[in-house]
Amino acid sequence: MSLALALKTGDVSRLPSRRDEDWRWTDLRGLIRTIPTESPAFLGDVGAGPFDALADGSVVIVNGWVREGDPAPETGVLALRFVSRGDATAHDAEFAVTVAPGQTLTVLESYEGQGAGGYLANIGLDFSVGEGARLERIVLVDDLADAVTVSTADVALAPGARFAQTILTTGARRQRLETRVAHPGAHAELRLDGIYLLDKQRHADLTTQVTHGGVDGTTSQLTKGMVDDQARGVFQGRIIVQPGADQTDARMGHHALIMSDKAEVDAKPELLIFADDVSCAHGNTIGALDEQAIFYARQRGIPELEARAMLTEAFVGEVVERIEHEPARQLARAWVAQHLGRSIL
Amino acid sequence: MAAVQETVEAVAALEKYEHGFTTDIDQEFAPKGLSEDIVRFISAKKEEPQWMLDWRLDAYRRWLELEEPDWAKVNYPKIDYQDSYYYAAPKTKEGPKSLDEVDPEILAVYAKLGIPLREQEVLAGVEGAPRYAVDAVFDSVSVVTTFKKELAAVGVIFCSMSEAIREHGDLVKQYLGSVVPTSDNYFACLNSAVFSDGSFVYIPPGVRCPMELSTYFRINAKDSGQFERTLIIADKGAYCSYLEGCTAPMRDENQLHAAVVELVLLDDAEIKYSTVQNWYPGDPETGKGGIFNFVTKRADCRGDRSKVSWTQVETGSAVTWKYPSCVLRGEGSSGEFYSIAVTNGHQQADTGTKMIHLGANTRSRIVAKGISAGKSTSTYRGLVSAHPKAKGARNFTQCDSLLIGKTCAAHTIPYIEARNGQSVFEHEATTTRLSDDQLFYCQQRGLNQEEAVALLVNGFVKDVLQQLPMEFAVEAQKLVAISLEGSVG
Repeated sequence: MSLALALKTGDVSRLPSRRDEDWRWTDLRGLIRTIPTESPAFLGDVGAGPFDALADGSVVIVNGWVREGDPAPETGVLALRFVSRGDATAHDAEFAVTVAPGQTLTVLESYEGQGAGGYLANIGLDFSVGEGARLERIVLVDDLADAVTVSTADVALAPGARFAQTILTTGARRQRLETRVAHPGAHAELRLDGIYLLDKQRHADLTTQVTHGGVDGTTSQLTKGMVDDQARGVFQGRIIVQPGADQTDARMGHHALIMSDKAEVDAKPELLIFADDVSCAHGNTIGALDEQAIFYARQRGIPELEARAMLTEAFVGEVVERIEHEPARQLARAWVAQHLGRSIL
Repeated sequence: MAAVQETVEAVAALEKYEHGFTTDIDQEFAPKGLSEDIVRFISAKKEEPQWMLDWRLDAYRRWLELEEPDWAKVNYPKIDYQDSYYYAAPKTKEGPKSLDEVDPEILAVYAKLGIPLREQEVLAGVEGAPRYAVDAVFDSVSVVTTFKKELAAVGVIFCSMSEAIREHGDLVKQYLGSVVPTSDNYFACLNSAVFSDGSFVYIPPGVRCPMELSTYFRINAKDSGQFERTLIIADKGAYCSYLEGCTAPMRDENQLHAAVVELVLLDDAEIKYSTVQNWYPGDPETGKGGIFNFVTKRADCRGDRSKVSWTQVETGSAVTWKYPSCVLRGEGSSGEFYSIAVTNGHQQADTGTKMIHLGANTRSRIVAKGISAGKSTSTYRGLVSAHPKAKGARNFTQCDSLLIGKTCAAHTIPYIEARNGQSVFEHEATTTRLSDDQLFYCQQRGLNQEEAVALLVNGFVKDVLQQLPMEFAVEAQKLVAISLEGSVG
């Protein structure tokens, strides 16, 4: 069951539903009654992307069509833009990134919803990180409120590789951002982070699956989120340590703030361990902002709304600070502030 | 060193499953297999009223339409439900009036298991020692219930389920199936159709039960399943502590145990439910035999400020599928779940809890410790959910897994669903192995490897052991050490 399969066959019964364990909180089957027609190619101007100024080169994919341009840089900084300009239509896109052994690449990925109509977008990504290579992926997702997006990234790491990822999203009508990592152990390092800031009726699902297949691997995961109004945030993290993958060190954290009585957060942090010499842990907290902290701020003359935004910004800030690429980190910081209604001078 | 010496002796004496003996007793069986006729047979045997038979038949028909669940992380051969006896009872005169009428063979079984069935034996101990009343269930029937008179004097009803259906029909009719409905799940539905015995407890308003209540379950007959049903009702302001123990003989065939436990708590009531589950786990080398333990346990905190506490020590069974749950409906009600699950050999355990917060200011606490050794698998699976009306709900969950050996597995699968902005949920889990440094430290100080493991494991599960009633805690501590015997080195 997948969106890709449903798009290919036009058969809605192929869509994942609540009855599929991995999709229990992101029901597509109940939402989509018919598979829309294919999005037409859009040849007009799509404006500048959020990361254009930081990149050495860019790849622009509009409604699933790759725009002609210079070849993507293999090292340095690549801006990868997925632009959706649909009008109740659907499209598919695929892209693969390979980092050669010993090389370093930063991928600044953006999902941009444009126009007025909703769309159904399915994006498949493949990342292959060679021996000793480094790849940092920063994903900024700004979908339209009535969009349905599923993005699935498969990541293969070679021994000694390093992959770091930070996803920042404001959600959509339904949105699933999934990352699956094949971790060979062998001193490869993995960091998987995420931030979701959701309001109104938006939904975001950050799902990860890390499979440790060999000795000496590390994984560090930190996801933080805020939901307001009737929004729904979903976090599903699964760490599998296969037999023999000893000396694995895996940590997973998910922490969320619920700002309204109609908002919802669902979490499933899973550890499946088949090896004994490991150190794995996960932590999960869900709650409201500390009223005492708000009171403290108000006492000092900060209006309540601003105090709430400030505290939330500090809460998710921990994830932003883990971004290694300096200009991208600043951009992410500003993005968070903007979405929380504060402007950084 | 006395305590250590005692552990060593206990381990040495009990190298294999201690309770694995069989007893030849003249028994009466229902024909093998499951059908409406068998359901009618069981009901007739128990001299049940028509409403009870109708209830069973309704459950049976629903069961036929259900599918066996397959989502748990356990593997077992397909169960042939037609290849088992659903009723097995020691042949005896109808309803023995006193212990003297009970088959001496059965009394010998309980004596061997160390369960006091004679009230004077319990009293013969040290003055002031805690007393506890026992309901002894042997295969499909309750053979004896002790201290009934003394309990009745304070208004507490403690009897077997069959007796309750006959003598307290109104209470049973009102509450049976109100916590776990017949079609709740596959195994609960099967139980509703064919349940044979179990305990019934009613504590009247404001009464604090004067002694611990306990049930001891024993499967003896070959090719039979045990389907007991327990119902405990704590009326307003009542309190009781209930203990449950279980054992079975060693056999090469798997036997099914599908029980249902329902707890009802009204305003300000409190129930403490402790289980030491030690069903035959199967052969540690080959994995042959053992009990399939598929149990549905649920507490419904209907009243405000009611409190329920589940404590379980799971060391036996080939396959365990069990999630004692709390429905926190009453305002300010609270639920606790303390669990130790020890798996060794080829055992598989998929166990955990569900805390469903429906009322305002409800609180819950989960402490689950899993220990896997040998080729076993231990899974913690839990759900914590808060309804939009459960404002001010709080949950704290801690799950720790300990792995001993290269071929075992430990999984943690928690589900958290938060649906309002005024609740707090905290969850933490760790998976580690027994630390080499700690083992080395203990061995350096003269403990051998097995003693060191027992010491460290007891430290690991201490938080849960402390929640058990005293006499159970001692037994549980030994049981944990014995279950892990031979798992290191």
